Amino acid sequence: MISESGRQAKFDRLATVYGADLYRFAVWLCGNDALAKDLVQETYLRAWRALDKLKDDGAAKGWLLTILRREYARTFERKVPKFTDVDQVVVPEDSELEPDERVEIELMRRNILKLAPKYREPLLMQVVMGYSCEEISSELGVSKSAVMTQLFRAREQLKTKLQKDGITGNVHGLF
Amino acid sequence: MSMDFSEFKRLLGADPRNRDPAFLQARDSSPEFRDAAAQADRLEGSLERALALEVPAELLDQIRDIPRAAALHDDQGAVRATWRRFAMAAGLLIAIGAAGVTWRMNSGWESVEDYVIDHYQHDGAAVLARADGHLAENVSPMLAEFGADVAPELAGLVNVIKQCPTPDGKGIHMILNTEQGLVTLIYMPKTPVTDGEQISFDDSEAVLVQLQSGSAVIIGSRVQRVSDLHSLVQASFVAAAEKT
Repeated sequence: MISESGRQAKFDRLATVYGADLYRFAVWLCGNDALAKDLVQETYLRAWRALDKLKDDGAAKGWLLTILRREYARTFERKVPKFTDVDQVVVPEDSELEPDERVEIELMRRNILKLAPKYREPLLMQVVMGYSCEEISSELGVSKSAVMTQLFRAREQLKTKLQKDGITGNVHGLF
Repeated sequence: MSMDFSEFKRLLGADPRNRDPAFLQARDSSPEFRDAAAQADRLEGSLERALALEVPAELLDQIRDIPRAAALHDDQGAVRATWRRFAMAAGLLIAIGAAGVTWRMNSGWESVEDYVIDHYQHDGAAVLARADGHLAENVSPMLAEFGADVAPELAGLVNVIKQCPTPDGKGIHMILNTEQGLVTLIYMPKTPVTDGEQISFDDSEAVLVQLQSGSAVIIGSRVQRVSDLHSLVQASFVAAAEKT
């Protein structure tokens, strides 16, 4: 039986190690900063209450992400209008970037939010959460081959949208 | 066997950070492969920069504080459970006051009562658990999104504030730290209600407040007198520009 202080320490580790990535994942999942904060806090509240069920610390990331995705599906997907306005997302000032780089990243952000959830979610798992294709496959309950197709199409759509936005090979050689 | 170009492009598009030896070897196997890999790396760099948001510093503090806040809430729950043993009524009781309002429900709730009960049962305890005794600093900016604001008398009680669903779109869910303890206040910018109507459910009591613009519901435990807060809430909500 884990002591109360051990429980608190374990929870602190989960907050420190995974809190930032879960927040970023949540922001891009729901496209709204305020909702993302709520989602992450709900996730950790549920995690705290169920902490004794987490036997393997190595499985913590997947455990937390599963809680977050379920909470999102349960609360926000069902009853809250979708937010796809990038202006509602907290975006730090990229002061070190050149103006054309900022434009490129801004367009990229808008286009990420325009991706259909079936493409956006695996892409976020891979890039934000550092998941492998196998891990995404397990989390989403689809085959690895399907995951790879979704990831490929996500990037293809981003490239196509950026080209339509005028970001071409002349700017940073993206294409 | 070496990887053909179409298979290489497929992997590059699906998993450009793949560390598989065959894939890594293919990246440098010819100018055509090298160019494709370089383009994919540039796209990936741009994607990673776009997704890399700064995390609000207070969020991690709030997460770390969840165990303490949850314990506080559980203590309050114990008080309510004691009261429940003496309650005459069991199960769900909805006391409906004056009737006659046709609700404009578009989110799956058939009435405001339905919404209040469903939303509070789902989210009420979790949001209450976040109250940490500190005043919320973003009350006016969050309400301003709906063209509203509250007088200092009410703003000075807000401990937690967040967006939430309401019957007619987004709204605001607040926790007030009152003399009666923590009380929930939900602002519904586009939902009309019957002013003063009371709703009883589980061990909770709610009172609806019609505002100049939109409405609110105050929810607390039955041992709290949420009706006493009706006047304060009704008088405190103003259009954003009206605040003095």
